[in-house]
Amino acid sequence: MSNDLQLKIEDFLLKNGKEGKVSELIPLTGGASAETWKFTFSDKKKSEQLILRKGSGKKSPLAVLKSEEAEIQQKVKSSGAPVPEIVAISSDDKDLGDAYLMNLIPGESIARKILRDNKFSEARQKLAFQCGEALAKIHSVDTNDFNQVPKKPIREELERLNLTYKSFNQPLPVFEYAFKWLNQQDFTTRKDALVHGDFRLGNLMIDESGLAAVIDWEMVSIGNPMLDIGWMCINSWRFGQSEKVVGGFGDLEEFLEGYSSISNEEIDNEEVKIWQVLGTLRWGIICLIQVYAHLNGDVNSLEKAAIGRRVSETEIDLVDLLFLGGK
Amino acid sequence: MIFDRPTSVELVEVVSEFLEKEIKINLPDHLAFKTQIAINVLNIVKREQQNEEILSKESKEILLNLFKDPNKANIRELAKQIETGELKLDDKELQEALIEITKKKISVDNPKYSTYKKLIE
Repeated sequence: MSNDLQLKIEDFLLKNGKEGKVSELIPLTGGASAETWKFTFSDKKKSEQLILRKGSGKKSPLAVLKSEEAEIQQKVKSSGAPVPEIVAISSDDKDLGDAYLMNLIPGESIARKILRDNKFSEARQKLAFQCGEALAKIHSVDTNDFNQVPKKPIREELERLNLTYKSFNQPLPVFEYAFKWLNQQDFTTRKDALVHGDFRLGNLMIDESGLAAVIDWEMVSIGNPMLDIGWMCINSWRFGQSEKVVGGFGDLEEFLEGYSSISNEEIDNEEVKIWQVLGTLRWGIICLIQVYAHLNGDVNSLEKAAIGRRVSETEIDLVDLLFLGGK
Repeated sequence: MIFDRPTSVELVEVVSEFLEKEIKINLPDHLAFKTQIAINVLNIVKREQQNEEILSKESKEILLNLFKDPNKANIRELAKQIETGELKLDDKELQEALIEITKKKISVDNPKYSTYKKLIE
């Protein structure tokens, strides 16, 4: 099967003016709605490492098409934010199906390694500021450029999350409280922007000098940019290093300084807290979606079953944020 | 109880230890990772078996204290009354109930979780 794919990639690259050979085609772990492959492409002059991102064929309600993901990355790149360069885009009905090819950015994406390995100790010092800068650049992209990116105003998004939660008929009093509390907050302080939607360790390529690339754009939307800020600051994405608010490696002040160095937007800790509550609730509901995919029989998966008992992690984070001065 | 020893807790325990000490170490990384998830799941089952009775009883008392009505002292009613606004968000007893019940859940699901460890220190 991978031999077949190899030939298809060679054909597709040839159509895009790149004649050469594909070798070392290796599958990488991908998200639920995509497969990711790594390979070497060699023409007469040189060899380079490329990545294939390909839709699974099943349109996920959470994710945009791969071809859209690629177009978004191209536009984000021109804002100066670090993203991999797109080599070629394949549309849904021909060539490789809904897919694209991009340059492989060398680096590490596994959170545990980034947070613990000595080789990243210098990177960790700078990373919070760099993440703030990158997000501000992403949020500066002109949203008029996109027709296909879903608009997700935050009130509608909360309503959608609430309906999803309700559909499982599993009452969670802490989630009810959080929804009620969030409905009382003011979300009108920011202008709509391009929102990555899943900006956290795991979706960032890190090398020894810090942030090398922002990857995995499948949750992208146009909405409130604070969503990305809060998401990066929830305990679920600190991988056990909970004293470091930003991703388990940095302080909130550095992160916001990096952000305002590009955007001139002032953000205070109270506003971040609202979006930490929202982010924690959102992750809790994504966990519910995964476990019910298992319980409803759509997939049979140990990982998805196990994640059901991680919902209480988001509940304890919510009560900590809401009542106990949690950060 | 009509069942003999080993108890269900003792059975789950021995399987968990077998996976940990004899299976996991002989597997490639991705399968060792999955096996660790299986071990974690078995440990949840073990803690739930051991503590379910006392944790449910204590939670019931918290809910009784809040509602003063045994028919209403359940999680579904608590969720409903928050949603409808019968319970107010600034109600300190409600907040305390949410904190205590959530602590009981996480003490079974993942007692090593950072926020839980911080809150019981």
